[in-house]
Amino acid sequence: MENKIDNCENCDNCVGKQNFGKEFWKEFVKGIILCNPVFVLALGLCPTLAVTGTIDNALGMGAGVIFVLLGSNIIISLMRNIIPDLVRIPVFIVVIATFVTILSLLFEAYIPLLYESLGIYLSLVVVNCIILGRAEVFASKNGMFLSIADALGIGLGFTIALIMISLFREILGTGALSIFGFQLFNIPGLSSNPLGFFVSPPGAFLVIGVLLAVFRWIGVLDNE
Amino acid sequence: MANFKNTKVYPIIILTIVVLVSVTVLIFLNTLTSPVVEAQKRKEINNQLQNIYSGMTDSELEDEIYYILKEDETIGYAFIAKGNGYGGEITIMVGLDKNLEVKDVSIMSHSETPGLGSRVTEESFTDDFKGLKIENIALNKNGGEIDAISGATISSEAVVSAVREEMKKKIKSIK
Repeated sequence: MENKIDNCENCDNCVGKQNFGKEFWKEFVKGIILCNPVFVLALGLCPTLAVTGTIDNALGMGAGVIFVLLGSNIIISLMRNIIPDLVRIPVFIVVIATFVTILSLLFEAYIPLLYESLGIYLSLVVVNCIILGRAEVFASKNGMFLSIADALGIGLGFTIALIMISLFREILGTGALSIFGFQLFNIPGLSSNPLGFFVSPPGAFLVIGVLLAVFRWIGVLDNE
Repeated sequence: MANFKNTKVYPIIILTIVVLVSVTVLIFLNTLTSPVVEAQKRKEINNQLQNIYSGMTDSELEDEIYYILKEDETIGYAFIAKGNGYGGEITIMVGLDKNLEVKDVSIMSHSETPGLGSRVTEESFTDDFKGLKIENIALNKNGGEIDAISGATISSEAVVSAVREEMKKKIKSIK
């Protein structure tokens, strides 16, 4: 397990050894299961707890994080040779904050309902440690194309994690599932008597805890 | 070039450039999106007014008061009140009828706790305001006619006092 998590940090040993498409694919895939930011790296848990009450919010937040991660990884990997070590973190934060502000301006103008329901958690993407983490351990050490693969993989892994958690919470907590206003299904009996606990913050802790345990278990099995 | 990178001003210059570029991009984007956001807010306000005044044909904004017109006759006055709730600002649209009694209130935005404070948006709470004169707008325990939501006294009080204080100010300027 330890070794696998180390691999999430950089790809020094694989650069230039394999053909490019393979590398790209490898960096992309690792973010989804092996280095899943929520279930394996346990990063970005604060927004994960906050926005997984409904699947709409989870999708919105996931798309937002992919956008910011992609933007910041591209810019930082392009600038990696001119950024002085001394002001590394401030530069990263300014770049990330710029993309988050762009995102929230766009959301406010074009998808106001999602903007309202994400509320403060949208601006808080600035301090989402997944994004700063990828800038620090990956984009500042690798080229642009690998950084794009890394951003897409990690972003998608984060989105999948949010969707999984929100599926449990919305189905158990409301007895129904609806995406952007369309109700997909409704469980009779559960919807009239939903387990409201799962929509509340303690329910989020429970669901995340169980899923984390399951992913650990899979990881342990995989290692053996 | 290698020398320049080692000087003390180099990090300062890089950080300054990054911040300048960032600010420029954001100012530019903001000028693009702010008209869209404004238009949306106007539309939202208009929808709220339509809900309160069913026969409304037009509205005029003057000194933050919406004068509601029905075929050139003023049928009511509406304004926006803002209160500090438990989780942040609560924005409330307040509609008065011709006699300066509350016709209806509706919560436009809030960030109260879901399931507790968020119940201020429900009709069972906002309907309590209907038909009240300003002197009766207070919670029951303070001698008014509005039932606080159990478990959400702070949110209820925030809405009630925001409506009362704003209404006090606006009634003066309407007359």
